[in-house]
Amino acid sequence: MTAADRDDKAEWRRLMTAAQDADGASYRRLLQELQPVLRRVVARRWRGTAEDVEDVVQEVLLSIHAVRHTYDPARPLMPWLMAIVHHRVADAARRSGRRVAEFAVGNLEETFGEIAAKSPSESQADGDALRRAVSDLPSGQRRAIEMLKLREMSLKEAAATSGMSVTALKVAVHRAVKRLRATMRRDED
Amino acid sequence: MDTKRLIEELAKSAQPVRRLPRPEYRLLFWLATTLPTVLLIAWAAGIRPDLAAKTTEPLFIIQVSAALLTAVSAAWATLSAVVPGEPRWKLAVPLIPFGVWMAAIGQQCWSEWRLFGAAGMEFRPDPACIPAIAVIGAAPAVIMVTLIRRGAVLQPRLTVFLGALAAAALGHFGLRLSHPTDAGLMVLVWQVGTVAGLSALAALCGRAIAKPLA
Repeated sequence: MTAADRDDKAEWRRLMTAAQDADGASYRRLLQELQPVLRRVVARRWRGTAEDVEDVVQEVLLSIHAVRHTYDPARPLMPWLMAIVHHRVADAARRSGRRVAEFAVGNLEETFGEIAAKSPSESQADGDALRRAVSDLPSGQRRAIEMLKLREMSLKEAAATSGMSVTALKVAVHRAVKRLRATMRRDED
Repeated sequence: MDTKRLIEELAKSAQPVRRLPRPEYRLLFWLATTLPTVLLIAWAAGIRPDLAAKTTEPLFIIQVSAALLTAVSAAWATLSAVVPGEPRWKLAVPLIPFGVWMAAIGQQCWSEWRLFGAAGMEFRPDPACIPAIAVIGAAPAVIMVTLIRRGAVLQPRLTVFLGALAAAALGHFGLRLSHPTDAGLMVLVWQVGTVAGLSALAALCGRAIAKPLA
């Protein structure tokens, strides 16, 4: 480790401590400085596309935000941070494994004489597929979708119920919808 | 949403947070709130009349102390597990007192076997131990769940298993003070079995109990 690395890490500890005390500027600077580091670490551990890596980096940032109260300023920041990264990468690997398994089944070769309009049983199958896709979402995204889209709660109500911030809820819904679209598109193919 | 915008949103929504105290302080809080409750319940249920005599038996003292230490170390491991970056060896610490506890019960079973043979070893149904440990361990369990949920739950099943082990072992400790069953096999099957069973059951519901990091 170089002296510059050591200085960076001491500075990040200071910024994190300030962020815990609601110093938005320090928090912004910390997350901006951590962003390339996180991207590098995630890319080394996670062999996905650049978009997948960015997804995991964003999940790490959201996790940092959600559990920033668990950081002890008396201790080094990096072990705390890397434990969160490790957890997020493992989570992404699990989800990806599940997706690969579904993809393998969903792409068995089939031949159809004609493409007909959807029958009631196909609509039922779509509903089932959507329910399955929702249940496969990471728990935070699933909770956000259930509260905001299925139970039609307001952002404020959902934030009060879940303990998540409004920002985290917005991001979770955005990412859940993106993931659901991709899953449903893959199922249609 | 791109990452830059996400960072902006997160920075804008930064509120002051109440820092999580170190696991050791949280452990002291758990012990200070739960140990008196357990002793109170044991007292209300009736302290066993031979307790003074039992305290002169080294094997009884080792078993009860090891059960208490298992509870304390499992609680410490649980509270460390919900702090990202805490060393992983802390999660294995409860194995030491648990090993001593099992060895002491094993030694007692072996002595009874040598003295009385298989036919002479006391074993009868005593299912009352199950609700008794659950009731005595209820307050420690509820407080432990509250403490777990304040942290960052990265491994819900392991965390809840350790937390349940802490509560159930403390429940067992309370039971030994009031319940006069001492036969090695009885303690092993009905009491230690209940501690293990409750811990495993809780671990199965880990995600529902612990509110894992989303």
